[in-house]
Amino acid sequence: MWREPANRILVIARHQLVLLRRAPGPLIAYTVMPIVLTTLLEPVRAQLADAGTPGIVAAAPGMLVMFSLFMTGVIGDSLLVERAWNTWDRLRTTPTRPLELLVGKALPLLAALLAQQAVVLGYAAVAYRLDLAAAGPRTAAVGGAWALCVVGCGTALATAVRSHAQLSAVKDIATLALAGLGGALIPVALLPSWAGPLAPLSPGFWAMRGYTDALTGRTEAAGLSIGILLAVGATGLAAAALRIRRTTS
Amino acid sequence: MLMAEQVHKRYGPVRALAGFDLRIAAGEVVGLIGRNGAGKSTFAGIAAGLLRPDQGGVRVDGIDIARDPVQARRRLGLAGQELALYPTATVAENLRLFGGLHGLRGRLLHDRIEDAASALDVTDLLARRVGTLSGGQQRRVHTAAALLHEPAVLLLDEPTVGADPASRQALLATVRARARAGAAVCYTTHYLPELELLGATVALADAGRVVFRGTRAELLATLPPIGGRPPTLDDVFQRWSAAAEEALDVA
Repeated sequence: MWREPANRILVIARHQLVLLRRAPGPLIAYTVMPIVLTTLLEPVRAQLADAGTPGIVAAAPGMLVMFSLFMTGVIGDSLLVERAWNTWDRLRTTPTRPLELLVGKALPLLAALLAQQAVVLGYAAVAYRLDLAAAGPRTAAVGGAWALCVVGCGTALATAVRSHAQLSAVKDIATLALAGLGGALIPVALLPSWAGPLAPLSPGFWAMRGYTDALTGRTEAAGLSIGILLAVGATGLAAAALRIRRTTS
Repeated sequence: MLMAEQVHKRYGPVRALAGFDLRIAAGEVVGLIGRNGAGKSTFAGIAAGLLRPDQGGVRVDGIDIARDPVQARRRLGLAGQELALYPTATVAENLRLFGGLHGLRGRLLHDRIEDAASALDVTDLLARRVGTLSGGQQRRVHTAAALLHEPAVLLLDEPTVGADPASRQALLATVRARARAGAAVCYTTHYLPELELLGATVALADAGRVVFRGTRAELLATLPPIGGRPPTLDDVFQRWSAAAEEALDVA
């Protein structure tokens, strides 16, 4: 019963991987840029951090959060090009269900987000002695939840916009707003007074908090962030699935 | 076989299909012809399950596509009017995707890709990216992707548009072969000579319904010579278009 849908999802995921390999520019840029900016901003974050907390604990997750959000553009693009190439309708003439298409296309992007986090945090561990060995499983759990959250938001965005221009505008504005509000650029405590209460509305806030908690050993606090990130991701995926179902029925 | 019964479809105030009936038996090639806007592509969309009819229904190999789209699509191959391929992927990667989604795996998938590529003369192109191919070559790959799972019903919507003579011959030969193997083929075109080469019967669509079913000769015989010359396809369209409008007015 589940075997055929699972096989179709794998076929789509493998094909999506091929397409990503053929146009790796954005993935490379969104992985290299957080490393560059982490290097430049680490001294600043060190000055802004609480006493005893290394600057890298905020610098690396901050840049990671911002450039993960930029990846929603890659996710959106992967669905929009299907319409530009007329392949979306062709895929629909196969036995594949819309939800299988969505999941199959999301899997490689989820893997790309996880790889992005591994590279950036790996760099922080090597260059700044960020103690990943102690915080590994907790950080991996936050990273996994954050990647799912971004994929959920990205697919929801992709099904809501109608053109690349719309996608680009929404992605850029939303990324900078959510990353800034979430404390990815400067600590939330330094934001304008009106912005502080709004910060928890940004998934970026929970990702930053989750990473910081995980990297500083506050396991239980990280659990709350993980739960919220998973809920946001699931909501995004559900919204995308509903919209695709509505537009294809 | 493919069976459409009393299919109606509206886009707002525009009536795209108004009681469209069509029956294509296994092994039969039907050339669906008609002017632009006659309802051919809307019918293809409904038959492929991409559009929902307002009324009526289409059965693919006995299965109602609106009720059980997954089973119906297993038996259906569609090569639409617009090319639908991934330009950054190779020909083989495109064919592997569409074959894989129809449940083909391993050796069987490999063999079917080779067969379809050979039939449509794209074997030498398998490793090339689709975006680097000519329009005619892309059209052949586009059609090959619809044949991999050897569907019982084949919907080809203007498959020779932009094709060079060699591509056209390869496409027509492949369609004939699929029909001989038992597929019901609905072949939409503006070129009557192709239907003769295919040995196809003709279904003339106008104003959203089929207004004539018969052979090409029977279709052309519906008009007397015009000014000493035999009637052309345009003459036939005009004649049947006027008749259809009149019938709809009466209805």
